[in-house]
Amino acid sequence: MIEVVTGNEQILKAYGLEGSGCSLPAGQVGGDFFEFIACDERTVFAVIGDVMGKGFRAARLMETIRHMLRECIRINPHPLEVVRRLNKVGGYELLKYGAFATLCLLCYDGITGRLSCVNAGHHPPLLLSDGKVKVARCRGVALGLLEDYLGSGVEEFFLAPGDAVVLYTDGLVEACGPGEQRYGLERLKEIVCLQGGADADRMKQNILSDLETFTRGFPQKDDVTLVVTKVTGKGGEMGGD
Amino acid sequence: MEIRVRQKKGMAILEVEGELDFSNVEQLQQEIQRRPEEVVEIDLQGLRFIDSSGAGMLLSLARHLYRQGRTLRIARIPDHIREDLEVIGFFRVLEVLETNPNA
Repeated sequence: MIEVVTGNEQILKAYGLEGSGCSLPAGQVGGDFFEFIACDERTVFAVIGDVMGKGFRAARLMETIRHMLRECIRINPHPLEVVRRLNKVGGYELLKYGAFATLCLLCYDGITGRLSCVNAGHHPPLLLSDGKVKVARCRGVALGLLEDYLGSGVEEFFLAPGDAVVLYTDGLVEACGPGEQRYGLERLKEIVCLQGGADADRMKQNILSDLETFTRGFPQKDDVTLVVTKVTGKGGEMGGD
Repeated sequence: MEIRVRQKKGMAILEVEGELDFSNVEQLQQEIQRRPEEVVEIDLQGLRFIDSSGAGMLLSLARHLYRQGRTLRIARIPDHIREDLEVIGFFRVLEVLETNPNA
């Protein structure tokens, strides 16, 4: 496994999957985060989240949730159990401050090529396969809003080499240019659709440059976090690289 | 953000205009908290933007009012704001809290 962390960027290569993510804060520090977590000899998690609010309190809560996330994966790595447990333990912390956190968790099995996805109040991921983009259907209530996690369950996909998955926070699709218009999901889907030949890091950079073209440097209200994962190897032939 | 308060048959209607976010969420929170009426309706027709702090505060107060046997009703939500709220499960939470405010 190769993991490179530079400032607010992170690149991961593990089990036939490459991932590239970055978080760009708007003004003061916010609650956006992402994580790549290698679990065993074949499984890697890619997680994105957004803790409500801004400033020191949101940043501290975000760090608590990240720590708990790693702990929940260690206790039982089943994706739905991770989110259920995190809602229990993290929800208590969040509720204390009247806050909540959105989270989308992807779990990739490098042997079978299976991607499991669980969503807690986050924008569902985009899947790029054979030049087509689809929006995952998984939905759920954000962490800390209800005592028991409520959602549509685990959504599964079998990925082939070249397939990519894009995770993002609301700051990306709600970003505005000098006019009132938002960047929006449709424009994001269009730019993702054109990224067939690019690796994960290049895809991420291309999406961010398109966002910059759209916003024309206009200051944003919310953080932008973007994570791209792409299958580089063939399912069944990967033992961990 | 601008808040206009109207009263109608034991109900308070708070019309919210502009942007509700981290910087001004307390203003609306205090206005809701000081209402004695059994039903407090938040009219969002004039709202252009809401962030997670705004959504979190509304859910937190909805829970609080339900526990007191009162109701916080969110009305006339613009489509783009409804979509943002749907993503976090906002309406699902309101449904659950209505029947069990301790959920």
